[in-house]
Amino acid sequence: MRTGEAWTGEARTGEAPVLHKDGPNSVKPQEPIPHNYPMPRLNAIFAWSALGLLFATGLMVAYDYVRGWKWFQVEFLRIQQQRIEAELTAAQAAANKDQLKALDEQIDQQTMAIAAHRNQYLIAQKELDRQEGRHYAADEDYRFAKAVLDAKRYEAEAANLQKASDRAAKQREFEAMTKRVNDLQLILQQVTRDRDAAKERVNQWLKKIDDAEAKKKDLNAQIDLLTKQLETVDLKRPNNLLLNLPMLDFISPTLKIDQVVLPDLFVDVNYMHIPRVDRCQTCHRAIDRPGFESKKEAARLSAELQKKLDTYQIAAEKRKDTEARIAQLKRIQDAPEDILNPWRTHPRLDLFVGSASKHPLLEFGCTSCHHGQDRATEFGRAGHVPPNPKMEHRWKGTWNVAHRQWGWEENEFNESPMFPRQYYEAGCIKCHSNQVQVNTETDRRTAPGKVAGDDVTKAMQTVELYGCYACHKISTWRFTDLRKPGPDLTGIAEKTTPEWAVRWISEPHDFRSTTRMPSFFYQRNMIGPYVPAGEKAQNIRNQNAEIHAIVAYLFAKSTHRVWQAPPSAGDAARGKALVESVGCLACHVQSEQIKDEKTGEIRLARRDDYPLERNYGFNFTGVGTKTHPAWIYNWIRNPKAYYSEAPMPSLRLTDQEASDITAYLMSLQKPQFMMKRVDAADPKAVHDLAKGYLLNTMSDVDAEAKLKSMSMNDQLVYLGQRSIEKYGCYSCHNIQGFEGLKPIGTELTIEGSKALHLFDFGFVHKYQHESGKTEEVQHNVPSWIYNKVRSPRVYDDQRAKGYNDKLKMPNFHLSEEEARLITMVVAGMTKDMVASNRVAAMDARNRLIEEGRKRVSQHNCRACHIVDGSGRAIAALISDTNFLPPDLTPEGGRAQSPFLFNFLKDPTTMKIRPWLSVRMPTFHFDDQETNALVAYFANEAKAPMFDTTRVANPPAQNIAIGREVFTMLRCSQCHSTAPVNPENPPVPDIANAQSLAPNLTLARVRLRHEWIPDWIRRPGEMIPSTRMPANFPHDNETGGFKSPLAGAIDTPAFATQKAALLPYFHNDEKELRRTMSDAVALTDYLRDYIWSIGIKEMRPAGEGGVTVTPLPSMPAAPAPKTGALEKAPRPVGAGKALPVGVGQAPPPVPGFRPTK
Amino acid sequence: MTFIKDFINVLSAASISFVLLSSVFAFIVYFNLFDGKLKSKIGGGFIGFGALLIVAGLFIKPLLYLGITYFLIMFVLAHLGGRLWDHKTGLWMLILGGGFFALSMLDGNFYLIAAKPDNVPIAAMIFLLGFFTWVALRKAYLNDRQMLAGGIPWEKTESDEKLFTWPDLVYTEMLCMIILTIVMIIWSVALRAPLEEAANPTSSPNPAKAPWYFLGLQEMLVYFDPWLAGVVLPTLIIVGLMAIPYIDTNPRGNGYYSFRERKWELGIFLYGFLVLWSFLIITGTFLRGPNWNFFGPYEYWDPNKLVPLVNVDLSEIIWVKMLGMPLPKLWVIREMFGIIFVLGYLGLPPLLAIGPFRRFYQKMGPPRYYVGTFLFLFMMSLPIKMVLRWLFNLKYIVHIQEIFFNV
Repeated sequence: MRTGEAWTGEARTGEAPVLHKDGPNSVKPQEPIPHNYPMPRLNAIFAWSALGLLFATGLMVAYDYVRGWKWFQVEFLRIQQQRIEAELTAAQAAANKDQLKALDEQIDQQTMAIAAHRNQYLIAQKELDRQEGRHYAADEDYRFAKAVLDAKRYEAEAANLQKASDRAAKQREFEAMTKRVNDLQLILQQVTRDRDAAKERVNQWLKKIDDAEAKKKDLNAQIDLLTKQLETVDLKRPNNLLLNLPMLDFISPTLKIDQVVLPDLFVDVNYMHIPRVDRCQTCHRAIDRPGFESKKEAARLSAELQKKLDTYQIAAEKRKDTEARIAQLKRIQDAPEDILNPWRTHPRLDLFVGSASKHPLLEFGCTSCHHGQDRATEFGRAGHVPPNPKMEHRWKGTWNVAHRQWGWEENEFNESPMFPRQYYEAGCIKCHSNQVQVNTETDRRTAPGKVAGDDVTKAMQTVELYGCYACHKISTWRFTDLRKPGPDLTGIAEKTTPEWAVRWISEPHDFRSTTRMPSFFYQRNMIGPYVPAGEKAQNIRNQNAEIHAIVAYLFAKSTHRVWQAPPSAGDAARGKALVESVGCLACHVQSEQIKDEKTGEIRLARRDDYPLERNYGFNFTGVGTKTHPAWIYNWIRNPKAYYSEAPMPSLRLTDQEASDITAYLMSLQKPQFMMKRVDAADPKAVHDLAKGYLLNTMSDVDAEAKLKSMSMNDQLVYLGQRSIEKYGCYSCHNIQGFEGLKPIGTELTIEGSKALHLFDFGFVHKYQHESGKTEEVQHNVPSWIYNKVRSPRVYDDQRAKGYNDKLKMPNFHLSEEEARLITMVVAGMTKDMVASNRVAAMDARNRLIEEGRKRVSQHNCRACHIVDGSGRAIAALISDTNFLPPDLTPEGGRAQSPFLFNFLKDPTTMKIRPWLSVRMPTFHFDDQETNALVAYFANEAKAPMFDTTRVANPPAQNIAIGREVFTMLRCSQCHSTAPVNPENPPVPDIANAQSLAPNLTLARVRLRHEWIPDWIRRPGEMIPSTRMPANFPHDNETGGFKSPLAGAIDTPAFATQKAALLPYFHNDEKELRRTMSDAVALTDYLRDYIWSIGIKEMRPAGEGGVTVTPLPSMPAAPAPKTGALEKAPRPVGAGKALPVGVGQAPPPVPGFRPTK
Repeated sequence: MTFIKDFINVLSAASISFVLLSSVFAFIVYFNLFDGKLKSKIGGGFIGFGALLIVAGLFIKPLLYLGITYFLIMFVLAHLGGRLWDHKTGLWMLILGGGFFALSMLDGNFYLIAAKPDNVPIAAMIFLLGFFTWVALRKAYLNDRQMLAGGIPWEKTESDEKLFTWPDLVYTEMLCMIILTIVMIIWSVALRAPLEEAANPTSSPNPAKAPWYFLGLQEMLVYFDPWLAGVVLPTLIIVGLMAIPYIDTNPRGNGYYSFRERKWELGIFLYGFLVLWSFLIITGTFLRGPNWNFFGPYEYWDPNKLVPLVNVDLSEIIWVKMLGMPLPKLWVIREMFGIIFVLGYLGLPPLLAIGPFRRFYQKMGPPRYYVGTFLFLFMMSLPIKMVLRWLFNLKYIVHIQEIFFNV
């Protein structure tokens, strides 16, 4: 048998090729040469393969044509088309048909009229044509001549300059040309007149038709617009169809990739930084277009806009626009189906993406905040990250192709995947990392619910409060120069006992469920489900030994100052009342029991049951078990005596008050905590652990010898030192012997950019959290961080590590929400480069503001005060707003800087609200810190840091008018004008809470001159919770204020006042009435009056806030009015910017329309 | 099922699969190709080798697997004999292999690696390689049989015929071109080009692999220093390939397939190409995972897998372990044994010329013989070094860090 026979056998019997029979040079083969392959078969193969190639080419074109993003665009066009069609139908239904018909008739009539006088019309038309022709020619002549003139001018000038021989001739030519241009101009004017006359004659006939057409166009404008829009979105129109054909769509397709180039925001491609090119809106079509909001967002937005309409004075046109927008949003809410992503409008267009927002699409794009692959146009490649495992499974789909609608797969090479949904605000950090509060512009009082940026602001506060920065270096402005978060331990022996400390370190949460001290010992990787039984017992022994060792070290190195016992026994009941009233509970919580809001059961409190501010101080639970009366007494009297950097301020307690509070705190016992069984340190464990450390530097024999020479206590102290080093206790606490050591944790400054493969996921995919919940670990960075902070030792599961090699991060017992916030910050800290013009708060003013805000956060001012529109945690305890500490949002514009400085340094220099039992504590700020706060308030309000208005002296007439207005508005019902000692003013009748108001004699040294009238006009707008009534209601028509005295001045009740006032207005009643209806003028007069009764000086605070001898200067009562009957001049200050003559309308105050 | 997967995972470990392939290769080529009968003397050697493996396997478990598999394969091959080269058996083996591959796709870990768009052509290459090797050897087998029976090779019967360029050559070429174009287009549509994100010099992919055609070289780097694996050996490969026509002057087998007439030439070439080059590429593609660790085909590529680095130099083995002495300070003395070994190895050609290779020496003449043997010895240095590594954890035979010279 021969191989290949099957191939050749048939071929050889095939036809012989036909050769050139007659060619002279053709060589005839010797014999007919058979083909190796049968030709018909080859031809068939050729035919089929040619068809195959055609098919493959078609496939290639189709594959190139069918892109994922196109489907999203087509779908969005369909949505748009539906909407436009609905609107078109509505517009057509609403069209005024009668009017249109009348116009049509008008056109018909005039057409008939023209037809009737056809000859006249034609003659006129012909004449117009002729004149148009003449005009065209004359106009062209003139323009050309002008051009020649310019050339001649140049020639003449140049010839003159170069002293050319023909300069005289050139000059003559120029002059001749000038004359000619003038002549031509005259001709043109004549021709134009003729033409216009002819036009006029024609227009006699056509005018009516033109007018009717124009009116018709106006009426149909909406329909025409919609029809045009429909043309662009309807893909079935021939034009669109043609432009989008495959192979033709390179010309000008309507379906195309949209992109925005962002030169200030960079992508790091490792060799260089290149501008971002965001293509997200290729699929997210409506991202910057209002009108495609989700139902939820539409509801939120319309409520917000409605509230704005109701609250603020808005000019009429803008009001109309807003109302139209609300109507649109209502339509979205009423629509049968919700708009889904990616066709949704971005939420908060006023803040993000919108062209008028702070982050317009064209400047910031999408990936600069969200991260992800800027140039990608496929869902799976753009770096979308599923927020939870459920979503991940949905995105990945199944083997069933029908279920793989998203085609998402994890892209391990993507170095900046998007932040999952719950961490969106992590994207704020890279530009806002030098801010304490990310969103400062939004008016929190009108926006219901959470405001964009609040999440990340709170997250950064959480990181600050929980002290993450102490162990993990974070080299951003926000987290540097902060104190150690834990208390000072250099004097621990003065404060508590080793017995307590051992139990505390073993499990701080057993003592206080809300403590921020994390649990280091007996954690998952020591006694958890994956630790073998034998190892578990040894681990417990080791841990116990380490705890004892740490305590031994701390007490061995502690100072032993003796604190003086309280002078009197103190009354616990009185102490409790004091704690609840003077303001301790703004920072501290009294008990770890809390009533669950949902179930109503009493349970252990968690940190996030309270606002962050109330977690600032420790929970009072069991404090009597922890320490002793002498220490408490001295601590609350003067915290700085125990620890100079103590964040606790002084509440200026008297000896008796301090004794009472001490008695109360000592009554808070938790005896069961001290009954917890604690084994003594196992000597063998201590020995072995200590030896383990010694072996790092010496041999076994030496280590044994050294240990033998040490007593048990020495061994404990040695092991304690090593253990403190191992666990990094010194990162948070001051500990003798650990000064200046580097923090223990990984630096987190660019943790968000760390590559995924550098995170050790161990063997964990799913685990049971200590709360009983099953957590899944997704393979992405945020998920790793989340599970790390939520269960810090979990990545040790199923790993066989040595005792000292196990993970050491302590367990903060974070709730899901706390863990989410911390993850947000860590994931958000990336190494992304941003041009400096895109970094927030970089200018001098904002730097001053942020420095102040950082201090506000550090000193927990928000526990008592509302600052920048948020805060006042203490409000949860005091139901009556009358007794709450003041809202400081407008403080910068309100308070004079010298006053603020003085008051912050020493709050005893003035008691503005003597009826408050909550005390402003003395913080012992130094000058630098005080100035930072003062500068912050002033700059935040855009008010001058230094103002000298305190010396302004209003004219007597103004004061007199002001006093009458003061009487008429019955201000004295609440405000006292009696002179008082500012440091100890009399307490008004607290029972009558409605009338509690600051004494006005304190206004002059405290309030800014320009602030008072503004405040009187719109108190509720500045501080929503104020009891100050709005005497000057809004006038929505003009956008200004109405005066309550406008009509009232003529009522009999004010007859006396009218009589008294008339002389100041030259007895001109009209002028008086005009002034009385002028809110701006009235409030200025009121201010001048208040200014006149105020004290002029207050006691300066001493150095370091130390009280100096008070030197109250009593206010002088204003001199009684005599009959100085001049016309009232303008109030001082109000007219500073504009010179205002007598009798003129008051000058406009910026932002408000004057009432007329 | 798990047992089968584990078994294959163990078998595919480079140490086992390489030895197995090398020895089975010899078996296939020398016995099965022609008549399937074991020649008593060499056959005994093969059985002895298997027995050795089994005995060693009592101490080193993987070798037991190796020994069992080796005997099984030998048994099957001996039974099949020449039928391996007939129409059905050879094709069936290829089809079964393909089926096994397809079945393995059901395994998640296997699928992950085999279905990677970059790896698909290499998977295809395995079958193409198998197919063409089979075609060539089958033709050689048929010719040889014909010639033994006194006939002439089939190609010879054809060589007198004349054919036209058109259509016999050009037409078929054009058809090939069209069909290949179709295949390429469909392929590129079906499998996405494996493009990745911008390269990051601070974070290289793990494993960082060379292009597939260099994976054999990269695999050599595991056993040799870069200057050898990256410079000397590739140069010798190129030079050696160029030198083949001048060394191999055997006129037989010219223009027709024959194995019998070119046993050594073909054997050496096939071993070098299939086992030392293609097999290493396949290993490098499918079985080398993160950190260049070895992973069986069904194993998960765990980047955290740790393999102890406990390789030692020859000098350490001899001086420290065998002689119980510290390493001499002077490198000449320290590396004495290694140098002698290497020089001895390179000095083998004259010895071989009077020993086992006497026949070649006489046939080829000294120049051809020395060049050829030199190239052959260099080729064989790879498997020798590999086996030494696996048996003795041998890192370097000569390790002179003083002058950066390592062998």
